[in-house]
Amino acid sequence: MPNALELTGIRKTFDGFAALTDAHFSARWGEVHALLGENGAGKSSLMNIAAGLYAPEAGQLLVDDNPVRFAGPRDAAKHRIGMVHQHFKLVRPFTVAQNILLTAPPPAEFQSHGERLREISRDIRNKAAELGFDIDPSKRVDALSVAEQQRVEILKVLLAGARILILDEPTAVLTDQEAARLLQTVQGLARKGAAVVLVTHKMADVKTYAGRVTVMRGGRTVATLNPQEASVAELVKLTVGESIAAQGFQPSAAPRGPVRLSVRGLRTPASPEGRRVLDGVDLDLHAGEIYGLAGVGGNGQGELAGAIMGLQGEPTEGEIRLEGHGDLKTMAASVRRGIGIAAIPADRYGLALAGGLSVAENYAIGRVHTGRYGPVWRLRRGRIQSDTQEAVRAFDVQGVRSVAQKAALLSGGNAQKLVLAREFGKSPTLVLAHSPSRGLDVRASAEVHARLRAARDSGAAVLLISEDLDEVLQLADRVGVMTRGRIAGEFAQPADRQAIGQAMVDHG
Amino acid sequence: MAEASLSADMAPSHKTRAAQQPQPLAGRRYALEIRQHMAWHWQALILATALLAGFAISAAILIGAGVPADELANEFVMQTFFDGQNFRAVLFQAAPMILVGLAGCVAFRARFWNLGLEGQMIWGAIGATAISMWQIGPENLRLPLMFIAAIGCGLLWVLGPAWLKLKLGVNEIISTLMLNYMAANFLLHLVYGSWKDPKDNFPYSPQFRVFERLPELGAGIGSSILLAGLVALLAWWLASVSRMGLYLRFVDANPRVAHASGVPVRRTIYGAVLLSGAMAGLAGFAVAAGQEGRLTQAFYQGYGFSGILIAFLARNNPLAATVVALLVAALFVTGRSLQVFYQVPFSMVQLIQAVIVVCVASSDFFIRHRLRRVGGEAVQ
Repeated sequence: MPNALELTGIRKTFDGFAALTDAHFSARWGEVHALLGENGAGKSSLMNIAAGLYAPEAGQLLVDDNPVRFAGPRDAAKHRIGMVHQHFKLVRPFTVAQNILLTAPPPAEFQSHGERLREISRDIRNKAAELGFDIDPSKRVDALSVAEQQRVEILKVLLAGARILILDEPTAVLTDQEAARLLQTVQGLARKGAAVVLVTHKMADVKTYAGRVTVMRGGRTVATLNPQEASVAELVKLTVGESIAAQGFQPSAAPRGPVRLSVRGLRTPASPEGRRVLDGVDLDLHAGEIYGLAGVGGNGQGELAGAIMGLQGEPTEGEIRLEGHGDLKTMAASVRRGIGIAAIPADRYGLALAGGLSVAENYAIGRVHTGRYGPVWRLRRGRIQSDTQEAVRAFDVQGVRSVAQKAALLSGGNAQKLVLAREFGKSPTLVLAHSPSRGLDVRASAEVHARLRAARDSGAAVLLISEDLDEVLQLADRVGVMTRGRIAGEFAQPADRQAIGQAMVDHG
Repeated sequence: MAEASLSADMAPSHKTRAAQQPQPLAGRRYALEIRQHMAWHWQALILATALLAGFAISAAILIGAGVPADELANEFVMQTFFDGQNFRAVLFQAAPMILVGLAGCVAFRARFWNLGLEGQMIWGAIGATAISMWQIGPENLRLPLMFIAAIGCGLLWVLGPAWLKLKLGVNEIISTLMLNYMAANFLLHLVYGSWKDPKDNFPYSPQFRVFERLPELGAGIGSSILLAGLVALLAWWLASVSRMGLYLRFVDANPRVAHASGVPVRRTIYGAVLLSGAMAGLAGFAVAAGQEGRLTQAFYQGYGFSGILIAFLARNNPLAATVVALLVAALFVTGRSLQVFYQVPFSMVQLIQAVIVVCVASSDFFIRHRLRRVGGEAVQ
């Protein structure tokens, strides 16, 4: 089959850092081609070049074997290349149809805006039906779940005419079932002749769905091969450069303690359609255990996490009782931190770190309320600096040349380690971890998991909310499934994966 | 076919086309990229260059307007800073400028766009004047009472917009701006009405008594500049030394992260905004009790804009704002003498201000981006 897209000898540096040194990649028409690599291997950078977002400093880009150069995503779209980014590029207060209208090709003849919108809405419904899902074009994007938003992204590039489809970590935020559905859909697109590039670091997806796989490491292309002819161990070895033993579930060494957190009848107000985001959550979390909350994204996990962390969200009824402290709902976020609640939110730069501020400031903000860094009228910068340096060392946060550098300069894994360093710095009694290894590579995920286990073993109650079932099964002592705003089932470990998967979709 | 993305291709296009080789030839292509970080001394250098460019353009405009080129340096530098009387005039002018500039810095640091500096200033002056009008308190306490009244009134005038924003999400740009008109019209109501000076029936309040005016420190320098300096130190301490400074940086950088990390976001914003109002109120006090010696009908005009401009040029840094305010005051003083000696309209001063602001604002581009030669050794 002929090459649809080819990149050769690509080089790209950011602020002196070489993201790509010598990258090669080619995808054929009619195939699903996986691009595999750890975080920071350069997968996303390379695909951003293919999508016209970055200009390469050296190297060549070919579409249908013709050299091309893109001045922007619009040019790439003209060559029928469309990319679905890991962080969705949707205008949140706009409706689905409005978002898609932004990138849709202009109409052939004059149309009023209303007509155009109706036409687009019709196209959206048809395309969605063709792909096997259902979407309401008049719904606002911020009212959609993550999985639904991703579908909008895919529809957007397809309706803009893309035949070369690049998906950047599409399954990172999806459950097993959602991911399988999505990957089957893109497989179908490839069968109809499209070229699909699947950027991922999930070996299982590569093995099951990709026709070929290109492995990248440290900004270079390491190999291109047929995944059927390579074992997972070989693929892992190619991506990380050394073998990391797959880790199974490790039960807690000590028996679990008394109930530390008890959530009773937590409810958010009903929408006009009568739906509640949280609809009576009942949950008991013991000291010294990891409770894994699995479930399809958008079933209230974010709201539950927000309610425990004390974010300004919708007011809730019911109670969240922490042993020895009463109902949390009346406490400000700063008070909650003071009594030992550690939070690792899913949205790293949206809720955990201020990217524009320094590493030291981001570290200090977690403990400044305790007075450790001086009284209200004076900040003890020296102590902040030495504490941060110590924490950076202890938690192996790499890429910190100086604690005065901006937190935004850290890679995903190191940013997460900084969050952990801050949250675990003062031996928490309750840990809330929401998708803590989202977007992290194998090594960084393993370190995050080790920290969560260590917190459990030192007696903390850990609530792990994750849409990645593998993660839940690896870590959790007990597994709960959240659907439609309540806990639909609880499973003791070792849990039956099929049964959990069933519980996730039964009500969802 | 697209030529290049985000980069200027300086190679003759027929060459690249003919060879169908997108690789650039050595040193012929430049790429613009986002810079994550820049050392502070480079930032300072870029800022200085931008200021110089602004001055050069301003000088060209002034020369075009008929000021002799050889007199410019003399007028601007020598006459303004090295002539004792003019320097005193600069300090005299600078005190309220510094105060409104600081008021801008403090509010903007909390992401509260306080465009109501003039209104708060008016109320500060009204509060101080009320103490004088109604002769509240003994003579030796009169000035401190006026000081407190100015702070209180400025603060109360911004409390409404702050509450509306934090409670109901009302846009503070609109609410503070509109409240300026209410304050200005209430001021007119007072000076044309019950507070009109009975001596000459002009629309201003009766003159303050000696003990109601900010005293001179000697050598013709008023104590209002000392007051402004102290407030600048207070603002610097708040922003750079205290815990609230850290809170403010988080509120500014990302309010959601701030909230989730346990920063008392509301209290921080309230604190900063009320302080901003208080500082603007003090600016009104500095004009009424330090310059005019009474409440006049248009004393506030231009200060709102200047305050925003000073805060912007100083990047919300209180100490930098003090320096910038001094420069703006110098520009005012020089502008007045240019008006007298060369018949240059006073609006030229505003033009120069605008030119400098545009230059400094553009310099941001060079701090955030870098132009880098690419493709030097690109042949593979």
